[in-house]
Amino acid sequence: MLRVEAANAAAGDPAVMGAVVRDVGRRKMMSKRSLVRLLGAVALLATAGLGLVCPPARAQNPSEVKVGLLVPLSGLYARPGAVMRMGAEMAIDRINAQGGVKKLGGAKLKLVLLDSGDTTEKAKNAAERMVAQEPDLVAASGSYLSSFTLAATEVTERAGLPMLTLSYSDLITSRGFKYIFQTSATSGSQAEQALPVIVKIANAAAFSPKKVAIITDNTAASISSVKPMKEHLLKELGIELVLDETFTPPLADATPLVQKVRAARPDMLFFLPTVISDAKLVLEKMNEFGMGQGRVPVISFGIAIAEPDMLRTMAPELLQGVMSAVGSWGSKGHEDLMAELKKRYNEPWMTQNAISTYADMWVIKDALEIAGKADREAVAQALRTMDGGPSKFYPGGRIKFDDKGRRVDAGLTIIQWQSGVPVTVFPPDLAMAQAIWSKK
Amino acid sequence: MRALRSLAPFFVFAAGYAAIALIVTNSYYQSMLTLVLVWASFGLSWNVLSGYTGLVSFGHAAFFGIGAYTTALGQIHLDLSPWLLIPAAAAFGALAGLLIGFPTFRLRGVYFALAMLAYPLALLYVFEWLGYQEVTLPMKRETPAAYMQFADQRINTLLALFLLTTMVFVTRMVEQSRFGMALLAIKQNEAAAQAAGIDTIKWKLRAITLSGAMASAVGAFYAVVLLVVTPVSVFGMLVSAQALTVTLFGGVGTVWGPVIGAAILIPTAETLHAELGHLVPGIQNVIYGLAIVILILAAPEGAFWKARDLAWRRWPKLLADGVASSNLPGREECGVPGGQRARSHPHLPTSHSHAPAAAPVPLLSVGGLSKSFGGLRAVRDVSFDVPAGTILGIIGPNGAGKTTIFNLLNGFLLPDGGQVLLDGRNLVGRRPHEVCAAGVGRTFQVMRPFARMSVADNVLIGAYIHAPTDDEARALAADAVGRVGLAHSAGRLASELTTRELRLMELARALAGQPRILLLDETLAGLGHGEADEMVGVVRSLAQDGLTIIIIEHTMKAMVRLVDRFVVLDRGAVLMEGSPEAVTRDPRVVEAYLGKKWAAYAQS
Repeated sequence: MLRVEAANAAAGDPAVMGAVVRDVGRRKMMSKRSLVRLLGAVALLATAGLGLVCPPARAQNPSEVKVGLLVPLSGLYARPGAVMRMGAEMAIDRINAQGGVKKLGGAKLKLVLLDSGDTTEKAKNAAERMVAQEPDLVAASGSYLSSFTLAATEVTERAGLPMLTLSYSDLITSRGFKYIFQTSATSGSQAEQALPVIVKIANAAAFSPKKVAIITDNTAASISSVKPMKEHLLKELGIELVLDETFTPPLADATPLVQKVRAARPDMLFFLPTVISDAKLVLEKMNEFGMGQGRVPVISFGIAIAEPDMLRTMAPELLQGVMSAVGSWGSKGHEDLMAELKKRYNEPWMTQNAISTYADMWVIKDALEIAGKADREAVAQALRTMDGGPSKFYPGGRIKFDDKGRRVDAGLTIIQWQSGVPVTVFPPDLAMAQAIWSKK
Repeated sequence: MRALRSLAPFFVFAAGYAAIALIVTNSYYQSMLTLVLVWASFGLSWNVLSGYTGLVSFGHAAFFGIGAYTTALGQIHLDLSPWLLIPAAAAFGALAGLLIGFPTFRLRGVYFALAMLAYPLALLYVFEWLGYQEVTLPMKRETPAAYMQFADQRINTLLALFLLTTMVFVTRMVEQSRFGMALLAIKQNEAAAQAAGIDTIKWKLRAITLSGAMASAVGAFYAVVLLVVTPVSVFGMLVSAQALTVTLFGGVGTVWGPVIGAAILIPTAETLHAELGHLVPGIQNVIYGLAIVILILAAPEGAFWKARDLAWRRWPKLLADGVASSNLPGREECGVPGGQRARSHPHLPTSHSHAPAAAPVPLLSVGGLSKSFGGLRAVRDVSFDVPAGTILGIIGPNGAGKTTIFNLLNGFLLPDGGQVLLDGRNLVGRRPHEVCAAGVGRTFQVMRPFARMSVADNVLIGAYIHAPTDDEARALAADAVGRVGLAHSAGRLASELTTRELRLMELARALAGQPRILLLDETLAGLGHGEADEMVGVVRSLAQDGLTIIIIEHTMKAMVRLVDRFVVLDRGAVLMEGSPEAVTRDPRVVEAYLGKKWAAYAQS
């Protein structure tokens, strides 16, 4: 349905533009005074053509409620965007199969896709397009990268359109915005939670780490993730920081870094790369130096290190034992979802992009049930006040948002590469396997 | 003002644009209207440096980003309004331009472009390191207007239109003053520009300072429009590329180029993105890329120039009107003394009489001049005097060091030893434009016209050196054009001229600088028989007007009837010096360089 509508819109534009161009052609013949003026007119009318294209007619169809998904579908981040789309489509199909929004007489949800592209400017343009051309939207989800979400929500906030996001940045919900709802724990919160959780996992394996090394690249997310650790967490837990290295991606050679790790003999290594090639270099070198495959436990942050793409460049053995702290992950209780994702889209496992976006659609559906009408303001109000009980798809906490728009008690998930698959090992209620913790 | 009058078409465009902006209520189209203007303005800022000087900058994102972060950080940390911060950003941009230009202008061509690439990349990492990976402009719910946060996006578009108008106006001011002329001259031929008396470093620094200020102001406004600033979104490669793309597409070196480029490319890219992005992800970039490739192939200099060339071919009247009105506004050329002289030209002298024999004090005195290139001693201990009002001919076979001597005389090259005295003052060590200012004009063996400019403008470049005002420069240029007999062709483009006319034009450009001594490098080369005679006539008449001339030439036939004295060079050293009769009869010269044919001619 979406495709048909888009095709119509595409067919509409050139027709209007064509008329404008023909008109310009006639004027050209008449006025020969100044070519410059002509060019001005062409530019003018071309832009006018844009303005004249009417937005799609507003169809107030009570049997259908539109929900937006503003994610990167092209460019550098198209792959995560595509996975987010899978999660959304699965949710929408299930919601509709279960009878749609009951309070709205079984109205079906309809997904409106918008491509946020690969730049902040494109993301903001897409958001402008979303609010201008889809006035019927009741809520949206997006936009993967924090900077895209920041830009897009500047638009949705002004348009009063509630937006759910899986982005981590604390800034997203520090701006006093009223229409943004952050379902993941913020990066600041994740950084605070991660170290105690990792120590808990180690303790469960009857091991108590005393020395830790940190290697991080100099990107925003990485730096902010290790900051609370260095500032107070390590001290509080009585752990010594024996190595603290920051590098600028991409690495040419990881040998010096890994040699330092070997010399420092840490009990675990926090390693925060953003670029896959950096991850590969360091992990390969660790293996070469006899520290790989969990002999020095490696802990990362974020989902990049657990994407299926990792296996294209790295052998599963190199990744064995590598852990990562992520906002959410396909876990225990999501087996049917993971099976459907595999069957329908051939995705080997369910990353945060899929599960969080899947969950977003359900949250919107629940908010619609509470709002009782297909109205964005009512949905926003419902999101602000609802308490949907313990969270099923996001780790920890409840389906409830505080006054900043942050999900109350949002937790994190620890995943670990085991035999070529990143599986959830924490929290216990979601864990699909026991964490492997080598004691050297 | 001339700039204002010439911008009438732009004001029509701006008024129409504003009208459309006011009608459009759809916020998405409105933001498109704003972005077109933003990128057009950015293209214009790039154009001021790269379009006019030809020094391609791949690093304009450096200025853009500085501006964007000025707005963002100024508002976050100091709670200042963009109304203040945008002008402040322009000041920072100007400073950055100066700081960047100073070391980078030592480089030329592709090395300059690559060096410029480094600045935004370095700044990108600096801002990441400073912890400014993502900053947003705080929303001002109480006083939005004071912080340029208008709920009605039409106001943004109008602000952007004001920004663009400012940029266009500044550009046009530059274009129509000696600033723009100097930049265009640098672009087309830096050596010729220096020889014409233009201090190229000074003008280039001014250009990058202005360009940096403009780019930075645009970046500052972009932050207001986008509200989110990340290092990649303002210092990234794509930002620098955007400036190049809109300008190259629309047309380099004209105010219209970036405007046309942005007006077509920005909406096209966005429409493709919106309509196709979710159907076949990525296809929009393929189509966009192909469209640009096709246009660049069809119109390598940009849409504007292609359209203009087509229009002129179709409506030739536009050409005459256009050039005359834009480039020769003061048509007073007939009023200056040169005008009359022009009409008396060209006349071929029938009898050949040499200039006064007695000239006790030489105007130019060259002593012991030497220059080596590695092991090659190109010029060895060359000495000669040129009395005022005489014509000296320098002859010798290829590689004898003739042009090298000229390059030593006018400051292109620094001699290893020796002195060059003009009226007793040593010129050695001075830069070419200073030598020009001192009174040494020159032309080139390989002609170096500024092809895209009219004859009058070509000559005008040379006239600035001794003209305090632009009007005086125009008068001097018109005079010089008249003296060489090109008055009737003043409005034509240099690219349309014949070799003879180009030689005359170069001569006029040198004359316009009011030289005391003129260095002519193979001025007769490539001319037909009659044409050479005409040129000889012009040169002689200049000498009769009191000008001192040194001429390098192969064409012996014309030379013997033109010069007062010869200096004959052999492998960098003076072989002999003397009158034409003496030289052409000297057996060594005849045998070694000229052959028996010339000896026979000279004796007949």
